[in-house]
Amino acid sequence: MSTTTSSPVVTAPAVTAGSTRPSPPSRRRRNRLAPYVFVAPFVLLFAAFGVYPMAFTLRLSFTDWRGSGAASWVGVDNYTYLLTNPAFWSSLGNSAVLWLLVIPAQLVIALVAAVLLDSGRTRLRAFYRVAFLVPFVTPLVAVAQIWVVVFDENYGAVNAALGAVGLPDIGWLTTSTWAKPTLALLFIWKTTGFIVIILLSGLQAIDGDVYEAASLDGAGRARRLWSITVPLLRRTLLFAVVLQTLAVFQMFAEPFVVTQGGPYGSTTTAGLHLYNHITRADLGTGAANSFLLVVLVMAMSLVFVRLLRSED
Amino acid sequence: MTTVGSSMRRSGRVSRRRPADSGRGAALVGQLFLGLLAALALAPVAWAVVSAFKPANQIVADPLGLDPSTLGLDNFRAMFQDVPMARGFANTAVVLVTKGALTLFFAPLAAYGFAKYDFRGRSLLFGTVLVTLMLPTVVLIIPLLLQMKELGWVNTYPALILPGAIDAFAVFWMRQVIAAIPDELLAAARVDGCSEFGIFWRIVLPCIRPAIAGLAVLTVMNIYNDFVWPVVVANSDRMSTLQVVLANLAQNITGNRIGADYATVTGELLAAASVALVPLLVAFVALQRHFVNGILAGSVKG
Repeated sequence: MSTTTSSPVVTAPAVTAGSTRPSPPSRRRRNRLAPYVFVAPFVLLFAAFGVYPMAFTLRLSFTDWRGSGAASWVGVDNYTYLLTNPAFWSSLGNSAVLWLLVIPAQLVIALVAAVLLDSGRTRLRAFYRVAFLVPFVTPLVAVAQIWVVVFDENYGAVNAALGAVGLPDIGWLTTSTWAKPTLALLFIWKTTGFIVIILLSGLQAIDGDVYEAASLDGAGRARRLWSITVPLLRRTLLFAVVLQTLAVFQMFAEPFVVTQGGPYGSTTTAGLHLYNHITRADLGTGAANSFLLVVLVMAMSLVFVRLLRSED
Repeated sequence: MTTVGSSMRRSGRVSRRRPADSGRGAALVGQLFLGLLAALALAPVAWAVVSAFKPANQIVADPLGLDPSTLGLDNFRAMFQDVPMARGFANTAVVLVTKGALTLFFAPLAAYGFAKYDFRGRSLLFGTVLVTLMLPTVVLIIPLLLQMKELGWVNTYPALILPGAIDAFAVFWMRQVIAAIPDELLAAARVDGCSEFGIFWRIVLPCIRPAIAGLAVLTVMNIYNDFVWPVVVANSDRMSTLQVVLANLAQNITGNRIGADYATVTGELLAAASVALVPLLVAFVALQRHFVNGILAGSVKG
C-alpha cells in the first residue's frame, strides 16, 4: 500500500501536464481510442496486403507449389537448390557489378553538382534543379523505350554520333560486354537528380562559417570539398548509398523493358531472376528466392546502419 | 572543432585577404559542368519528343538529322490507331485519383497517431513499418497475385488501387515531419475544446503543408509511373494502365511484332512515350518548388 500511495504524487504532474483541465470521463475514453482509429485504415491495408502476403511467401518457400493443385512440403530444398544454382549466383553477381558501375560514379557527380548548386555564386540554380529532376519524374517505361531506340546497334542515335566522328558501331544492348554499362547509364541518368536534391538538403544544414574559416586558411576548393564537406555530409551520403543500394538490388523494370535480361543473361538482375520464377509458375522456388533477397538486402542495410553509427 | 577554432584565430591576422582561389575561372568551370549535366539530363527526352514528329523512316535512317519541312503528326495518328492509349490514360486517371486520395489523407492521419499518441502496440506496429521499408517490392508479387486471384480481383480496379495504397514510406516520412510539431500547440487546442480529429485537421495538417505538397508530387509520380504491379495484375487490354500500354508497345520492337517494320513501331513508340511523359513533365515543372521544398522539409540532417 505504501508504494501505491506515493506513486500518484510522482506521476500526477506528468498526467496533468498534457491537459491542464480535467476532462469528463467519456471524453477521456474517446481520447484513448483516437490513436487506434487514426492508424486503423493504414494498419488494416498494411496487414492485408503487406504482412499477410509476406507470411504466405515464407510458408510457400518450403513447398513445391506450382500455382495449382496440392502443395507438398519440401523443407529447405528450394533454398539448397538456389544456393547451389549458378543462375541464382550470377543474378546476384550481375546486380553487384551494376552496383559498382552505378554508385561511385553517381555519388561523385551528384556531390559536385550539389556543392555547385549550394554555392551562392552559381547562376540559374532554379533552372538546373528542374533540369536535373526531369529524368527522375519521367516514366521509367518511356525512358527505357527511348534507351532501346537511342542505343540500337544499327539505327540508334548514339552509334550515329559515334559514326560521325569516325568511331565504329558498338552493340550497346546486344553484347554482354556493353549491356550492363548501358543499363547502368540508364539508372544513373534516371536517379542522379534525386540524389543531388538529397545531398543539397544535407548541405543546407552545414554552417557556412566552416567554409569561410577554411578558405581564409588557404584551403583550395577541392581540398575543402574533401576534408570539410564530405565528413560533415557523411550521414546524408550514407543515406543516399543505402537508398541506391536497395534500388540497385531491386532493379527490375529497367532490364525487363530494355534487355529482357539478355544478352546471354548478362543483365538478369536479382529482381528479374526472381520474376522469372513467377513466369515459369515455379512459385515455391520464387518465394525462396524472395527471402534470400530479403535477407541479403536487410544484411546490407544493417551494415550501412552500423557504419552510420560507428562514424558518430 | 579545435582545428577550425584555431584556424579562425590565426585567420584574424589576415582577415583583409578575401578567398582568392575561387575566382572567375573556377566559377566558369562549375557553370560548364552544371550546363553539361543539364544538357545530358534533357537530351534523351528532347530527342524523343522531337523525333516523334519526324517521319518514321527518317528516325531510323538519320536519327540525328532534322528537316523541319518533314515534321508532322503521322506517328501520333498511327499510334492512337494501333494502341489503346486513351484507355490507358483513363485507367491511370482512375487509379491516380483514388489511390492518391487514400494515401494523402490516411498516411498523415496514421503518422499523426504514431507520432503524437502513446498507445499499446505502437512500437511493434511502427517497427514492422520500418522493416517493410527495406523489403524489395518484388518479394510481395507472387503472394499478392495469388491473393488477388482468390479474391477474384485480377484485372479489376481494386487490385490496382488497394495494395500499396497508404504506403509505408509515406507514413514514415509524415511521422518524421509531424513529430517536429510542438506538443504544447496540440495541448492548447485540446484545452480549447478541439476534438482529437479536429486537432489533426485544423492544427497538424496546416502545419505540415509543405511536406504534404512534397508527398503529393511524389505520390502522383509514383502512381503514374508504377509499372511492375500493374503489368502483373492488370494486363488485359481493358484494364491496362498507361505504363502497361507503353511496355507492351516496347515489347513489339524487341519481340518483333509480326507484320510491322522496325521504323513504324519506333515511330509509334516515340509518339507514345512523348504523349505519356508530357503531362507529367508539365505538372512537375509547375509544382517543382513544392516538391523540392517538401524534400528539404522532411530531409535527414547531414
